[in-house]
Amino acid sequence: MNRYRLVHTTDFVYDGPVSESYNEVRLRPLHDERQSCLSFRLTTTPNSRGTAYRDAYGNWVHQFNVLTEHRRLRVEAESVVLEHEAFEAPTDSTMLADYDSHSHLLDEEHFDFMAPTGFVPHLVPLREIIEAAEKSCDGTVAGFTQTTSDLIHKRFRYVKGATHVHSSIEDSLSLGAGVCQDFAHLLLGVVRMRGIPGRYVSGYLVPGSTASPEAKQEDVIGGQASHAWAEVMIPNTGWMGFDPTLGNPVGLRHIRIACGRDYGDVAPVRGVYKGHAGQSLSVDVRVRPAIDDSGREQLSKITVGPVPPPSVLERAQQPAQQQQQQQQ
Amino acid sequence: MVNPGLFEGYETGSFYDEMFSSPGQPRAQYTKLFQKLASMAPSQFEERRKLADLSFLIQGITFTVYSDGRGTERLFPFDLIPRILPHSEWEHIDRGLSQRVMALNLFLQDIYGKQTILKDKKIPRWLVYSCPNFRREVIGVEVARGIYTHICGIDLVRDSKSGDFYVLEDNVRTPSGISYVLENRLVMTRTLPEAFQACEVLPVHHYPAELARILRSLSSRGEADAQIVLLTPGIHNSAYFEHSFLAQQMGIELVEGRDLIVDGGIVYMKTIRGLQRVDVIYRRVDDEYLDSLTFRPDSVLGVPGLMGAYRAGTVALANAVGNGIADDKAIYAYVPEFIRYYLGEEPILKTVETFLCANPKDLEYVLEHLPQLVVKAVGESGGYGMLMGPTADRAKLMDFADRLRANPRNYIAQPVVGLSRVPSYDPSTGSVAGRHVDLRPYCLYDGEKVTIVPGGLTRVALQPNSLIVNSSQGGGSKDTWVLRGED
Repeated sequence: MNRYRLVHTTDFVYDGPVSESYNEVRLRPLHDERQSCLSFRLTTTPNSRGTAYRDAYGNWVHQFNVLTEHRRLRVEAESVVLEHEAFEAPTDSTMLADYDSHSHLLDEEHFDFMAPTGFVPHLVPLREIIEAAEKSCDGTVAGFTQTTSDLIHKRFRYVKGATHVHSSIEDSLSLGAGVCQDFAHLLLGVVRMRGIPGRYVSGYLVPGSTASPEAKQEDVIGGQASHAWAEVMIPNTGWMGFDPTLGNPVGLRHIRIACGRDYGDVAPVRGVYKGHAGQSLSVDVRVRPAIDDSGREQLSKITVGPVPPPSVLERAQQPAQQQQQQQQ
Repeated sequence: MVNPGLFEGYETGSFYDEMFSSPGQPRAQYTKLFQKLASMAPSQFEERRKLADLSFLIQGITFTVYSDGRGTERLFPFDLIPRILPHSEWEHIDRGLSQRVMALNLFLQDIYGKQTILKDKKIPRWLVYSCPNFRREVIGVEVARGIYTHICGIDLVRDSKSGDFYVLEDNVRTPSGISYVLENRLVMTRTLPEAFQACEVLPVHHYPAELARILRSLSSRGEADAQIVLLTPGIHNSAYFEHSFLAQQMGIELVEGRDLIVDGGIVYMKTIRGLQRVDVIYRRVDDEYLDSLTFRPDSVLGVPGLMGAYRAGTVALANAVGNGIADDKAIYAYVPEFIRYYLGEEPILKTVETFLCANPKDLEYVLEHLPQLVVKAVGESGGYGMLMGPTADRAKLMDFADRLRANPRNYIAQPVVGLSRVPSYDPSTGSVAGRHVDLRPYCLYDGEKVTIVPGGLTRVALQPNSLIVNSSQGGGSKDTWVLRGED
């Protein structure tokens, strides 16, 4: 088990005065059988009023507004997360051919995670990847997915700035390059086109040095840890994480924030405001192992279930008990 | 035998005629009107007609046709010869519509809630989830008193062959036209008072009061303090007249998006005495434009943050967000199934046979029989995005065939329903001729029962032989009379 403290800061700076700013953020880590969100706190400067709800995919969404005139807006999300277990490599031996004979059932249950989307259209070049992966894998659904993820990792170059946040896989396919968002979308494109449900996951990747138990408190990571990968529905197993950007298994260093059909469903921050000023945006994510007051790791002491204290925003609307009940 | 006067030489043609069962022989419900009109000299009728037109003009009862480029507003053409329904026939329609509205409301509750109908496989999930008007944003939202379909304007047509009524569209988003029903009646009683009095017509004037009652019941703060507003897109909208008319009739504020503001999940109206909390919004703005934070970021018609308030239950919207799924013309084919599934009843009203182009077999059939079919885009209404196979030229047929192949989910096809006709006055010839009509009753649902003002809007295709009755496509309207008691 790994326990982390995360601080995700988003700064908007406007060229001139703006007002009536309305924002919606998906920054609260998921809370489920594989990961516990022990605490979450959202603060804004200037102060704001807001509400929270869970969207159709189970993600927490916080909405807030700042009515008065302002030139800067800072959104700070602080959370403590406990990663329970690393994914075990899927051992399911269901063959693709057997799987295909049941595919109509999947379409009924997982339509949203099988249909093409704006970011992930079904495109002819994906066929070639499907064929290559089918040839070199062991013929199982799990093997096919892993092989596809490896193929994408090998064939595409990670180039910062190669694509933009609204790019569909059409761009990364023609460039042969992209960022983690594109890698995740590519994997989704291939598995969905092959008839296997896949979903987009946004989150953080904790740098290796921070994750080790030897990391000291001052090893605070100032880097941009935001990351994206995909989860694929493996028969008899459930949603399994695959990280085609990293090429490594999804493990305790992957912290999940939100999931959806594609990036469009999980954008961490979006908003509208009144005013003719342009805006510039900077994002800073800091991750460190959570430690106790005397500076010691206390991971081994965690035995009780998670009790997420309500955030500033949620206190008004959503008592903690209600949060628990809505998980069903 | 009465002298046919105005109806001299009138031909019923091969169509079901609402007024005449055979040439010169009026149906029972039309006997009194026929006597009154036939005894009028044509010049006298023409004079009354001009009076009626003038009355509409003076009152500013207008609408907008976007496509004709002739500026914003025009008079809604009104035909003085009413459409009359006997009481027994109306009772049948009333029961059929009530049943349909209840089933549609239950479907919407279910599809944005537990989705039992999907689990029971009465309708394929892909058909629902692939609908562009299915709003994932409101899945799990609890709407005030469980009502989605506060107002439905269900379009009916009488099939010219069988004489039976068929449902054509449900219009459960933002149906319009009720203001014309109310104004047509007012003008009718003034223009042809003797005919109106002779016929014992059921009243329609209680519609605004009934709608206001339902809107008030949605308030989360209780009815006494309820602040209700009508949200209009603005003066350039085709139905702006109706928005202002209804707001005035109900005694509620008429607002645009910029008159409202959301703070901390509560909606307020900006007034000269400061912000006033708003409880219920009768919105005439489409889902996609309601809230730029949740839907289209470029919308300037809505209220940013509105969906947050809606979700939190501090404000109610009528109609509910996401109703477009029930308006989808592919979903339409399943409404009889909804009636059986949710109510355990057999549908009272008939629906038109519908081919879903999303089904490869249906698509193949449609492409082969295109010249005999009507093709409709699933998300459109008001006669936009339509192909009338029998009257389309080759180029238009080819164009639609391409569109169907490129995006089959977006289209359905139906056989052409021959609409019944009502005698209508043609001012250019000064004579009466048969024109095709449909019927749009307005159904109000208060969570327990459906109230329908007797009759509704009879829309008439004023061009000879035209089947397009939509006001946005140049149609006109008639007053619709439902007779009291025994026929």
